[in-house]
Amino acid sequence: MDDFQSGEETAFVVDEVTNIIKEAVEGSIGGNAYQHNKVNQWTSSVVEQCLNQLTKLSKPFKYIVTCVIMQKNGAGLHTASSCYWDNQTDGSCTVRWENKTMYCIVSVFGLAI
Amino acid sequence: MADRKAELERKKARLEQMRRERKEKELSKTRNVGDDSKTSVKSSGSDASGAEPDDILREFGISPAPEGSPATPKKAAAQSQAVKEVEVPTSVSHTTPRKVRLSVAKVNETSIPPRENVSYSKETQTIIADPVDKDGGRHGKSHVNDDNDLDFIENLEGSSSHAHQFRGHGHSHGHGHTHKMPHVEMVAPATTSEEQNKEHKKPVPELSEEEKKQILMSEGFQKFFDHSSRIVERALAEEVDIFADYSGKDSGGKDDEAMAGERLKVNRDFYDDKWSKHRIITSLDWSAQHPELLLSSYGSNEDATNVPDGVALIWNIKYKKDTPEYVFHCQSPVMSSCFAKFHPNLVLGGTYSGQIVLWDNRVNKRTPVQRTPLSASAHTHPVYCITVVGTQNAHNLISVSNDGKLCSWSLDMLSQPQDSMELQHKQSKSVAATCSSFLSGDANNFIVGSEECLVYSASRHGSKAGINEAYDAHQGPITAIDTHRVPGQIDFSPYFLSSSFDWTVKLWSIKEQKYLCSFEDNSDYVSDVQWSPTNPALFSSVDIMGRLDLWHLNHETEVPTASVVVDTNVALNKLRWHQTGHHIGVGDDMGRIYIYDVAENIANPKADEWSKFVRTLQEMKQQATEREEDSTLLGSAAPIR
Repeated sequence: MDDFQSGEETAFVVDEVTNIIKEAVEGSIGGNAYQHNKVNQWTSSVVEQCLNQLTKLSKPFKYIVTCVIMQKNGAGLHTASSCYWDNQTDGSCTVRWENKTMYCIVSVFGLAI
Repeated sequence: MADRKAELERKKARLEQMRRERKEKELSKTRNVGDDSKTSVKSSGSDASGAEPDDILREFGISPAPEGSPATPKKAAAQSQAVKEVEVPTSVSHTTPRKVRLSVAKVNETSIPPRENVSYSKETQTIIADPVDKDGGRHGKSHVNDDNDLDFIENLEGSSSHAHQFRGHGHSHGHGHTHKMPHVEMVAPATTSEEQNKEHKKPVPELSEEEKKQILMSEGFQKFFDHSSRIVERALAEEVDIFADYSGKDSGGKDDEAMAGERLKVNRDFYDDKWSKHRIITSLDWSAQHPELLLSSYGSNEDATNVPDGVALIWNIKYKKDTPEYVFHCQSPVMSSCFAKFHPNLVLGGTYSGQIVLWDNRVNKRTPVQRTPLSASAHTHPVYCITVVGTQNAHNLISVSNDGKLCSWSLDMLSQPQDSMELQHKQSKSVAATCSSFLSGDANNFIVGSEECLVYSASRHGSKAGINEAYDAHQGPITAIDTHRVPGQIDFSPYFLSSSFDWTVKLWSIKEQKYLCSFEDNSDYVSDVQWSPTNPALFSSVDIMGRLDLWHLNHETEVPTASVVVDTNVALNKLRWHQTGHHIGVGDDMGRIYIYDVAENIANPKADEWSKFVRTLQEMKQQATEREEDSTLLGSAAPIR
């Protein structure tokens, strides 16, 4: 039991985090079209929601959450990231969400304490 | 169940342990000042665990909590918190000595591709009003911008010299241009222009040389003169000929009789002393809208220096006059020309310099109204092939130059090609194109003949754009190719002919690599070959010994059905069938065009001509396969006879 629990605690569970992110994004910008004056709020709310849900997991992790919202204008975008950490315990997860007018890319990095 | 009980027991033991340790900590709390977080954890933990041992038991009944469900993570968190509380003092000591193995993680990439913007734009170019050329800018009104005054005057003389009736009426004036004006006025037969000339009568005695010149140069006068002199010439020629008609035709005046009766007979010839002398005829084309008009383009006249290098003339076979209907010229020898199929007034020419020029017979100008630029975006090598493909509403001018570049143009906009591509065959070898022909009814697929003795089939668009296949059998540069285009119940469009410097004409199908039949009756370079537009089994070829051959494949495939030698001193360069299939226009290298009449019994296809031709082709295919077998037996690469 101890091992089972410790397994749960000290590893980054990608699926769980993905779900959290998806819910946060859907909740914040779900059916909306891109509006320049509201984007500010949206990015903040996505990040906050994600972080809240993640902390609620109460895992011994440090979290870094980033959110990019890009209007669909025909431009291309390319981002990349890499990390130097303990592959056994740390992990990251990126969710790419889109609707007709915008893209939203959220990345969560979890580093075990 | 037993396992569960055992685990329950274990849990209970742990809980008791936790309680004990909690008490210890509470005691040591006062001692431990530094760790506020720990105490808070402890206190919250203690609160939580105080309330929850029962909960823990309960939840353990629920035990393997699925991840992601909101309720259980909380409890699991609480659980883990409780456990953590135990472990915190120990875990603190654990974390620092715990081995941390760091390594670089995989790169996380996100990519959103840009959107491709497809746009379409069309431009039209306006005609430049006043081209400035090597003669210096002429003042706008004059239409003979690139000519000298002298040219114009010579032309006057030239055209009126043919109207020798004028002289015959006793006006023996000199050739000074001042005498031209009264000359025209006083002529009786020119009834159509007489009324207009009366106006000129009055100012004539009062005008000075300068003023006369001005009038001559004026646009109105030149238009009038051009138009009316044409009509007058025709009328005059016509008069003479009404008598000569029957006697001339039947008396076999020319001595170019065919061996077997009158299969090929010379009807007339076209030659202009000024414009076509000593010039090789580089291309011929019949007009689609006016079947009596024949366009011929000429190369340069090496003997004369002051004349334009490139000339295109339009002749008329309907009337007996033997001067060209229209004269066009440009600065560079015209290598290929054609009527713009869907524009009755436009004439296109491809020149030696790579420029494509457009003449318009509505404008009273002999120089091109539009030209393509001489730049790398267009052609920089001689343009040997130009064709107009497409339909009335959607057509393009396709030009292929000697460096293998194919450009497609819109006739409104010659300042840049709509599309261009390089014709390359394997290992980026450019095709040195000398002739091209589009497949019947197809604006996309065509065949090209080159100087490298190869014929290629190619496409303009599509997945197979560019050169597709090469047909290799000739031993000399290809001079002409022609695709079959006789409409009928059976379609022979895959078949094409090629003529070359190797003295042969070969018949191919685009679907086969090897030729079907080789016609080797000539004893010198074969310069042109063309299918008849009406008879599927008939084609004609010319060679540089002055020979014009007519091959009727349903009768005979070894020798021509009819053959005629135009003149042993002359090399025939181009031939073109008339749309009716009854006349052939043949051009030589001295600037003379001969119009031959083809006997009706040969020119007209019989009802069974198509099916007979199918049989002929089958026989040829059989012979071709036999030939292949022979050649493989002999071990030679290509059959040589």
